[in-house]
Amino acid sequence: MDDSPPSSAEHRMIFRSEEMSLAQLYIQSDSAYNCVAELGELGLFQFRDLNPDVSSFQRKYVKEVRRCDEMERKLRFLETEIRKDYVPMLEARDDCPVPVPKEMMDLELTFDKLEAELRDVIRNEDTLKKNVNELTELKHVLRKAQLFFEENHDDQTAEATLIPLDISRDATAELSLLMQLNFVMGVIRRERFPAFERLLWRVCRGNVLIRQAELEDPGQCQITGETISNTVFIIFFQGDLLKLKIKKICEGFTATLYPCPNTAQERREMSIGVLTRIEDLKTVLGQTQDHRHRVLVSASKNVQLWLKKVRKMKAVYHSLNLFNLDGTQRCLVAEGWCPTDDLDKIRLALIRGTEASGSQVPSILHVVDAAENPPTYHKSNKYTKGFQNIVDSYGMASYREINPAPYTMITFPFLFAVMFGDMGHGLVMLMAGLFFIFTTFFNGRYVILLMGLFSIYTGFIYNDVFSKSMNILSSSAWKNSYSQRFLREHLTVEGQDRPYMLVPERAYNNLRGPYPYGVDPVWNLAETNKLSFLNSMKMKVSVILGVAQMAFGLLLSLYNHRYFKSDLDINFMFIPQALFLGCIFVYLCVQIIAKWVLFTAEPGYIFGIEYPGANCAPSLLIGLINMFMQKPRPSGFDTPACYLNFWYPGQSFIESLFLSIAICCVPVMLLAKPYLLWREDRLRRQRNQSNLSVRVDIHQEDVEVIHAEELPPGSKANHTSHGHASSGPFDLGDVMVYQAIHTIEFVLGCVSHTASYLRLWALSLAHAQLSEVLWTMVFRHAFAFDGYTGAVLTYVLFFVFFFLSVGILVLMEGLSAFLHALRLHWVEFQSKFYGGHGYPFTPFRFRSVLEEAQKDDDQS
Amino acid sequence: MGEFFFNIDHGYLEALIRGFKGGILTQSDYANLVQCETLEDLKLHIQSTDYGNFLANEPGAITVGVIDERLKEKLVTEFTHLRNNALEPLATFLDYITYAYMIDNIVLLITGTLHQRPIAELISKCHPLGSFEQMEAIHIASTPAELYNAVLVDTPLANYFVDCINEQDLDEMNVEIIRNTLYKAYIEDFYKFCENLGGKTAEVMCEILAFEADRRAIIITINSFDTELSKDDREKLYPRCGKLYPEGLVGLARADDYEQVKQVCEWYGDYKALFEGTGPNPGDKTLEDKFFEHEVKLNVHSYLHQFHFGVFYAFIKLKEQEMRNVIWIAECISQRHRSKIDNYIPIL
Repeated sequence: MDDSPPSSAEHRMIFRSEEMSLAQLYIQSDSAYNCVAELGELGLFQFRDLNPDVSSFQRKYVKEVRRCDEMERKLRFLETEIRKDYVPMLEARDDCPVPVPKEMMDLELTFDKLEAELRDVIRNEDTLKKNVNELTELKHVLRKAQLFFEENHDDQTAEATLIPLDISRDATAELSLLMQLNFVMGVIRRERFPAFERLLWRVCRGNVLIRQAELEDPGQCQITGETISNTVFIIFFQGDLLKLKIKKICEGFTATLYPCPNTAQERREMSIGVLTRIEDLKTVLGQTQDHRHRVLVSASKNVQLWLKKVRKMKAVYHSLNLFNLDGTQRCLVAEGWCPTDDLDKIRLALIRGTEASGSQVPSILHVVDAAENPPTYHKSNKYTKGFQNIVDSYGMASYREINPAPYTMITFPFLFAVMFGDMGHGLVMLMAGLFFIFTTFFNGRYVILLMGLFSIYTGFIYNDVFSKSMNILSSSAWKNSYSQRFLREHLTVEGQDRPYMLVPERAYNNLRGPYPYGVDPVWNLAETNKLSFLNSMKMKVSVILGVAQMAFGLLLSLYNHRYFKSDLDINFMFIPQALFLGCIFVYLCVQIIAKWVLFTAEPGYIFGIEYPGANCAPSLLIGLINMFMQKPRPSGFDTPACYLNFWYPGQSFIESLFLSIAICCVPVMLLAKPYLLWREDRLRRQRNQSNLSVRVDIHQEDVEVIHAEELPPGSKANHTSHGHASSGPFDLGDVMVYQAIHTIEFVLGCVSHTASYLRLWALSLAHAQLSEVLWTMVFRHAFAFDGYTGAVLTYVLFFVFFFLSVGILVLMEGLSAFLHALRLHWVEFQSKFYGGHGYPFTPFRFRSVLEEAQKDDDQS
Repeated sequence: MGEFFFNIDHGYLEALIRGFKGGILTQSDYANLVQCETLEDLKLHIQSTDYGNFLANEPGAITVGVIDERLKEKLVTEFTHLRNNALEPLATFLDYITYAYMIDNIVLLITGTLHQRPIAELISKCHPLGSFEQMEAIHIASTPAELYNAVLVDTPLANYFVDCINEQDLDEMNVEIIRNTLYKAYIEDFYKFCENLGGKTAEVMCEILAFEADRRAIIITINSFDTELSKDDREKLYPRCGKLYPEGLVGLARADDYEQVKQVCEWYGDYKALFEGTGPNPGDKTLEDKFFEHEVKLNVHSYLHQFHFGVFYAFIKLKEQEMRNVIWIAECISQRHRSKIDNYIPIL
């Protein structure tokens, strides 16, 4: 971006959010549609609702929105029908042009025609299907009827069963004529049959005979298309009254009754007739379905495109509804936020829009002063986005506040890696990151990549590959101080190995110096005191990293205060906070480093005092406690508990001084700012009393007294800084409480946050131990065997080892380290400077509109 | 003790119901709804509420009937989800809620059959929450005994119906008596069930059901003036689980006109207030509306307690009230009868 004016170069920093302007657009109502469409493609303008009091259905373009809704509904209908037939749809690109308003009519007509045609076809199909279904049912009914009657014939006809046995055969014939049994046949849903049967029995008081049979091929429900299994039933009864009742019950249970002739001959004829009709209907049905398919296929090519077009159009009208009408009705006024740097792009878009509409009058963009806080807009790319999301999910940065994301980009993966440090596991994670980068659009892919890279780096420092060390630069200063003969004689006592210690004074060669980088691989051999060495080192490193990050956060707060020109915050917030942190915690870190540098295993002189050996190296933790207790201690190293003594000249004085400075800072933090704010407010009020003016409104006949607000230059900064010092009347109580909370948070926070950083040590320890357990308990067993057994076992156990490594160490441990790193950033780091009172910039963008609609579709 | 283990069985559903309750239309939603000019406007506005796109796929112009149907459909979907996921005793509790709708459906069907309406038309008018298998065969019955023996004996309402069996024909008067007898038995049974559940459920539900019982007693009394219902018969219809029982009900049984009812109710602090704001003047609210308001208040209050089933009952009742409100507003809009559009009962 060389063509951008040099003055804006400063704004382009990624360290703060974009500078925003409140712009007013005056657009001819003819060209408004095109202009908004252009802005939607550009996606850099956030419209403000200028008619918040007008409800959604009273706005200007509500009719158009409704038409779009209607079109969308038709398209959705088409889409569901297409999906039902499994016709593939042509995907449309997101950047299809927005249809011009004139196109709306054409689209509407097309959709209308399509919908009407499709509904017609579907209706025909439904009636046909229904007929076929009914006929098929009838076919089955007839077939079953045949069965029923044949069955009954075997046990001497249905009638005979009802006749008392003692009546003679002649009488039987006579009676059977008298007691002519009626019957009805029908089909009912299977699950309703039991209730149906029970009710029939009860209502007819047992005077019916019901037979039923399953229908082999299940029918289809007209509405949902589900398959339903049916039951054919035949009911024998006597008399008309019962017939009425039975019919009513059948109606109630939505059972379909079918006419069924009495004699077998008629039934056969009927069933032949039914079969031919079914055949005919099926041909017609097939043709209808073909037609339907053709309609759907032709629609499927365009449906997605149309849907996108209509949605874009609807979005444009929705935005237009936020506009205000000018008094003359010829011009629409819009107001909204946009990045100051992109004002030119927006002007260009407006010009394009005006040209597209063919309007003569240009649209005007006019930047106005904003009373409210602008939205926060961080420009991000695919690399920074993941980290920006991490920060944003804690809280959107206040406008123009320092954005922690750029720092998070490095510190987050680094702190993660401090806990996760292992070259092997880091490599697995790096691979995963690369895999994500090349295959998917998963937002966090670069976060994972960096976490992998940093884990490899810290693993290198820890000298850890799947819990093993590498001795690449075999320049260790450690050597075996025992003679071969001594070891031969004394190494095994009664068959047991006996451990020997390498005494630093004899085994460590000071001239060769320490291992060039990271942890000396020799520690991997030290079984008993490897942990004590690593623990001490990692704990101290954690504290140093933690204090460094907190101090950096505090420094960032200075930049915030300076940016918002709040001297008050610098003098009475930042300086006491910095002193407090410096006098206690930075001092502790300095001591740690001094101890590393100065104290060795060998006796010597430190600040001119004789130092007998490692047992007299000062204990820093107890030293810190003693500093708070102001406990009198001797100096030098010649008393028995020499590690508790003062170890450098003037330590007693310096510690008392630091402690008193730190304690003095607390009341300053607590009281100074509220007092000064209160004094300023009182002064302003006194001034205002002499500044009253009176305005008389002639038209409305009222008089108002105006307090001419003369804002002091610093007050605006106060508003924007951290959202406190509200613009309402000054309330000392509120400010006091707020300040007290902040002070307590900071003072206690310094202690607890420092302790909190020890999680770096704890998790790293846990990770190292777990991977060691996995190595020794699982994989190492394979090495105990020789030959083929060993080979096979290695092969098998490698898989166990590898999957456990990936599952437990990389995934689970990785997740926990991720969460802890997240917490360290959100709480420990950001609490030092980050307000997070902003609201995000949500520009009008077709892409996001379409994405959202797509998401809604997928959900429903 | 029940509270300690409440969340194990019913925590999910309680969370769900509280979420559903959060979607109930607010005062500002109503303020917007009553400004609508057409039903299309109403549809547009209701899209921005929790109802979402429930009308979006309706082809053609929407009518009040369609809105009503969709509203009911949504409630039924929600209720069915709750019911399918419910464990005992909540499942029984939810079943109890549906019994009231079953009673309404039975009465609707019988009345419809008396007027010779086709059964299909009546079925479509029934509330889907109260549908049951044998429902559609109701029109075969011509006497209460037949109704009981043929249809209702399998339903959970059978126990309630025992009191109504006599050999009289089903006429309109008898149907009303059946309805009220059923209701009385139902409320008393439900009350007992809630009492047995104990804990907060009993506390909240008994309060609501007692009010329901008293409301029915008062309404029955007021509606019975100038009808052929004798005082003795009337007394038999009063549910006996409310606050009016026993003295108030005795008073109501003796009442001859509206003023006497009012006098009886004035002994009770809760009901006195309800009678005070009512009157026949156009500006005044009707007693029925006052009752609805009080019911809404009780239901809303049930959400102040945790670990009880009352919230489920209250949700259904509040939703019912909301549906009445939306339908009222929709009717007013479609009939261009805007002067009374504000007579809905807001849900606080």
